Amino acid sequence: MKNQNVLVIGSGVAGMEASLILADAGLKVHLVEKDSLIGGQTIKFEEVYTNMECATCMLAPKQQEVLQHDNITLYLLSEVKKTEGSAGEFKVQIEKKARYVSLINCIGCAACFDPCPVSLDNEFEEGMSQKKAIAIACPGALPNVPAIDPENCVRLNGKKKDCNACEQACGFGAIDFTEKNETINLEVGAVIVATGFDQFDVSGLAQFGYGKHPNVYTAMEFERLYAQNGPTEGKLTLREERPIKSAGIIHCIGREEKGYCSGVCCMYSMKFAHFIKDKSPDAKIHEFHTDLCVPGKSHQKFYEELSKKIDFIRYEDIEVKGKNGSLEINFTSNNGKKNAVKSDMVILSPAMIPSTGTEKLAKILGISQDSMGFFSTKDQNLSPIDSEKEGIFVIGCAEGPKDIPDSVSQAEAAAGRVLSLLQ
Amino acid sequence: MNNNQKETKSNPKKGKTLPAEKSIKDAVLNIFKKALADNIVDAVLIPAKVPDTDAYSWILLQDESLFDIADPLPPVMNVQGGRALSSFSKNGELDLKIAALMRPCEVRAAVELLKLHQVDLDNVTLVSIDCPGAMPLRDYMNDPKKINDSFKKISEQWEISESLRPACQNCHRFSLMDGTGSDLHIGLLGENKKVTLISNSSTGRDVMDKLGFEPKDSLDKWKATKEKLVKEKSKKRESFLKEWQEKIKKTDGFFNELNKCINCHNCMNACPICYCQQCYFDSQTINFKPETYLQKSKEKGALRFPLNTLLFHVGRMSHMVLSCVACGACEDACPVSVPVGRLFSMVGDQTQKEFDYIPGLNREDALPLQDFKKDEFCEVETPNECEEKVTEEAK
Amino acid sequence: MNKKIGVYVCECGPNIPERIDIDKVIEELSSMDEVKTVKKHSLLCSNDGKKFLKEDIEKEELSHVVVAACSPKDHENTFMKVCEEAGVNPYLFQLVNIREQCAWMIPDKDEATSKAIKYIKAGIQRVMFHDALKKKELEINVDVLVIGGGISGIEASLSLAGPNRKVYLVEKTDALGGMAGKLSRILPHQGTEMGIVKEKIEQVKNNEHIKVYTSSEVKEVRGFLGNFEAVIKSTQENEEGTEEEIKTGAVVLATGFDLFDLKENPVYGYSENENVVSALEFEDMIHSEKIELKNGKKPKSVALIHCAGRKEKGYCSKVCCMYNLKFAHYLKDNLPDVEVKELYMDLCLPHKQDQSYFDKLKDKGVEFIRMDELVKTKKSGDKIEVEYRNNDKKDKFSVDMVVTSPAMVPSKGTSHLAELMNLPLDESGFFKELHEMLNPVATPMEGVYITGCALGPRNIPESITQSHATSGKILSSLIPGRKVKPEVKVSEIKEDLCTGCQTCLSVCFYGAISYDAFKGVSVVNEAICRGCGSCVGSCPSGAIRSKHFTYYQLYLEVLEALR
Repeated sequence: MKNQNVLVIGSGVAGMEASLILADAGLKVHLVEKDSLIGGQTIKFEEVYTNMECATCMLAPKQQEVLQHDNITLYLLSEVKKTEGSAGEFKVQIEKKARYVSLINCIGCAACFDPCPVSLDNEFEEGMSQKKAIAIACPGALPNVPAIDPENCVRLNGKKKDCNACEQACGFGAIDFTEKNETINLEVGAVIVATGFDQFDVSGLAQFGYGKHPNVYTAMEFERLYAQNGPTEGKLTLREERPIKSAGIIHCIGREEKGYCSGVCCMYSMKFAHFIKDKSPDAKIHEFHTDLCVPGKSHQKFYEELSKKIDFIRYEDIEVKGKNGSLEINFTSNNGKKNAVKSDMVILSPAMIPSTGTEKLAKILGISQDSMGFFSTKDQNLSPIDSEKEGIFVIGCAEGPKDIPDSVSQAEAAAGRVLSLLQ
Repeated sequence: MNNNQKETKSNPKKGKTLPAEKSIKDAVLNIFKKALADNIVDAVLIPAKVPDTDAYSWILLQDESLFDIADPLPPVMNVQGGRALSSFSKNGELDLKIAALMRPCEVRAAVELLKLHQVDLDNVTLVSIDCPGAMPLRDYMNDPKKINDSFKKISEQWEISESLRPACQNCHRFSLMDGTGSDLHIGLLGENKKVTLISNSSTGRDVMDKLGFEPKDSLDKWKATKEKLVKEKSKKRESFLKEWQEKIKKTDGFFNELNKCINCHNCMNACPICYCQQCYFDSQTINFKPETYLQKSKEKGALRFPLNTLLFHVGRMSHMVLSCVACGACEDACPVSVPVGRLFSMVGDQTQKEFDYIPGLNREDALPLQDFKKDEFCEVETPNECEEKVTEEAK
Repeated sequence: MNKKIGVYVCECGPNIPERIDIDKVIEELSSMDEVKTVKKHSLLCSNDGKKFLKEDIEKEELSHVVVAACSPKDHENTFMKVCEEAGVNPYLFQLVNIREQCAWMIPDKDEATSKAIKYIKAGIQRVMFHDALKKKELEINVDVLVIGGGISGIEASLSLAGPNRKVYLVEKTDALGGMAGKLSRILPHQGTEMGIVKEKIEQVKNNEHIKVYTSSEVKEVRGFLGNFEAVIKSTQENEEGTEEEIKTGAVVLATGFDLFDLKENPVYGYSENENVVSALEFEDMIHSEKIELKNGKKPKSVALIHCAGRKEKGYCSKVCCMYNLKFAHYLKDNLPDVEVKELYMDLCLPHKQDQSYFDKLKDKGVEFIRMDELVKTKKSGDKIEVEYRNNDKKDKFSVDMVVTSPAMVPSKGTSHLAELMNLPLDESGFFKELHEMLNPVATPMEGVYITGCALGPRNIPESITQSHATSGKILSSLIPGRKVKPEVKVSEIKEDLCTGCQTCLSVCFYGAISYDAFKGVSVVNEAICRGCGSCVGSCPSGAIRSKHFTYYQLYLEVLEALR
């Protein structure tokens, strides 16, 4: 493989690791990210299991390295539109959307947020808070430069063409409404797909009452709820700002529907319980699970320690009902008995599904998806990260549900495969 | 210079009783005479009275005739035995096989030095002996005859006399301890006109066998007398610790005891454990420009000179108090009678308890600061879980 | 040397001047003797700012540079580079944080200004005593030593070997293949037949860049990234004593696993019942295509018992549920009318394709029984009675044959190598990775990597991926022709002050300190030292100093800040 350029799609934990290993080796990495910040899903977490390390602190050095590495060219707000060619000589077309804020001149002082007249739901915060049309996703987002949402910005969408509130507030001339979308053509030797995952949509399962009862949360919502840089700055309260005295966490949401176990939910559900117990030692917590999936070395011990403080219930059937402002979880445990538990809050742990855009990207790259919608790989045993097309690798949750260490291993492996092709 | 012997704790059930018709001193020396004569050892490290003086010194005896001046239990501890041993056995391995006869605190110091790689014990047979204590060096130098007589009486009666060094008055580890410290022990308690040779390790047992001394004699009398005396002395020690803990409850209390210090560093030099080539407080690291001192003096109101007089003691404590064997060599050496030995002994007692560590007891016990247990100081690190653990263990 | 210190205060946009009176700061600092010039700039880290800084340093002929701006984490490297370009040693530089540590957290302007002045003065005091450290360059060897010839070791070797890189593969038994070689088949839905392991072994043997040592052990490994030396010893009888010394740049540990000894707990009935076999023994039976009881007859009923050793060891071995499904499929496909019961605690099916494999089995009529605990496995006439407890109720059934799945435990090779190389093990005895999340195949010893079941229970694709991950890390760092530039802010031991007590050695996490028995002193290997400073604190005589964090530097900085 003579071409020393590599395309990495997705800047989550896996994409960043692969990029850094390849960049350290001297290759030129083109890292394409569709969002305005890097870090993927992991930066939404407050802590990771089982050592309960701060996720953002853990990733910040990696993010900084990616942003500062001479051999990594980062394309934010970008997507791959076309590919052709084969291993060693892929021709790739990238569409880079305009950010309207200069990454070089902006120093992240946030002076432009307040003056902006437009507020909208913040998607990063799972809609639990608002942001302006010019905003960063959350405090601590990297790069620490806001982006303007052209659909909602009243100047860019034409509703108030003379609005320049942010431009006036900026002391560095970093805002440029004339910026245009860009098309970039690259020639690379290999492609690494690291597009991550999304959360199974629980609103389709009426028995859990999501959307109907305000205090039923999805896992991602709960992650943002207890994050220090989240909508409540880490304060654990219900939607009507009451403290939490009891919580029920339900595993395996969507397992039957999707037909696979996502491998990480048992552990992160336990992480939630651990956290709630830490903050409110008197809170009563129930965890409802089918099989207990604790495959890692330290996982079972974590479970055993936690089971001394909370109740684990094996269930066969389960549903959530609202009663007089609080929630009731009705279930059949695995000995056939029916029972119910009242709870202030219910957290649903949904399956991991392929990220949106997987289908589109699969077609663009000319690789297929498996029956579950994740990217297909050639041989599960011998080359678990090789797609069916030579030179295209699939890593992390884009390949299938997995935890952080496995995603990092796959990222390093893909880098290894690329480098070994060069030897 | 590693301790290659992996000794297991021995619980000696029998010993070898030897007659001491003429004197205890002779009976003890005869053991070593025989060991030397039979080539079981090549040399003996033992205290001796320097001829024509009242002074005592350690000698490495290879000539039999020198046994005439040797003394197994001199009335004073001139130089700590551990220090004597490390002075020549630090750099490299010992070719000669030697037997070293030392007081129990000196043996313990030697064991600590082993862990600090400052002695080589591979070819050394450490022999401890029941110790009645020793007399303060200064008292002895002032009136050797009087102190000698006093000591004779004390050692015959095994009194806890106030004329003994303070360290010795408060010592409850004056006999063989249940551990892998010494190889052989000479028991003086319990039997009249007899000494008992006890092996405490396979090396010790080896030497006993070579000497032709099979351990068949009962240790009951010795054990009984020892236990009674240990109880008495432990009581004395507890009251000493309580008294001094009260004395220094306030930080002022601590420094008040050290006020007389003249910064001569004698205590450090006499201490067998202090092993640094150059003490931190003698190094250039802490020497600053005069203006720095003037500024500090201005801020504090006044500065005591020479600097770090009191900090030296705190610093030395933090470096070695976990290995402090409470031998009192420091207090003997202090020219202005600072009770430094008692202070260190008391702080040592408390800090060693925190780590469940007894210095010099077992050769295989790792030094607490070099050893890392998974669950340590849970009261500090994970206080919530620690409470549960403590109550669980209590159940 | 005449010290000419330049101080540059960055405004960082509106951030700093809003909260700090910069002119006052400049006024205070200009009156200091050692300071040659004090200037301010609106944004030093910008291209303009960097240009200004470089030119000014050269113009003023500065010897030391202090920048008062943001956090060192942001731009210490940036400004160090500028110093270097301007001809000043990059270590004669100090970045004082007046943004995060002053402007961003003190609302009162006077307070913030005086704190900023204090901090900068402290930084000036410190920088005067910096040493002009120089980065060294070391030649490296790019070859790799792989210890363990199972599938992980084989895969690592194949992905690393090349015309510029030799691989030494050491295996202690007389054949390559490891545990994977003993299996009858890999899970069918995961692709291929067992022939592939044999194929891989052939590939290794035919690869001219891989030197294979079977019936051999590694006796000694010393060194550091790029410069390892190892001694390989043959354990064959007629070749006892033959040793070979090799030089490599990295080491990969692939020492695999052993199985929990079922005899340890009588509840499994392993030694008393001849028809209770372990999973590995069952693999053998499948291999030889003879599923038979000890009396030669074919079993009419088989129980597959999961989780043997799970409670004893305290972890789930992850792979057993799946291979038990494989056994069930095999039994149903090859033995007519056989009754198959699977007795399990939890079904561990963490990979995307696992559940469908399980679903297919239900159609074949395999009975799945959940248990909380296995109570007894005992002989009952010709059969074996299996008693278990579920939800506080006891139950039992009888079968002809029982296949028990033992937990995966660390291999003896793992503990032996951990001791040899001073590598940490986790509570269960597997190798401990450098960082649970972000560095799953590295160890605290730079240049030493781990892969496969030596790290913990995992299946073949995961082991293969990890082997590729180790080669990714090695291929990225050990590049032929490239030199290694070890960290310069390391510790150093003053020989004449060291008494050889080895306290520093006992606290060094990275194994960077060794004892020189001849001189009687401890020595720091600067190539391995990461500059953490633990040894500096542990030395009672102060014989160890940190090159960029000396007592003098820190003391003066703090003294100034507390004035």
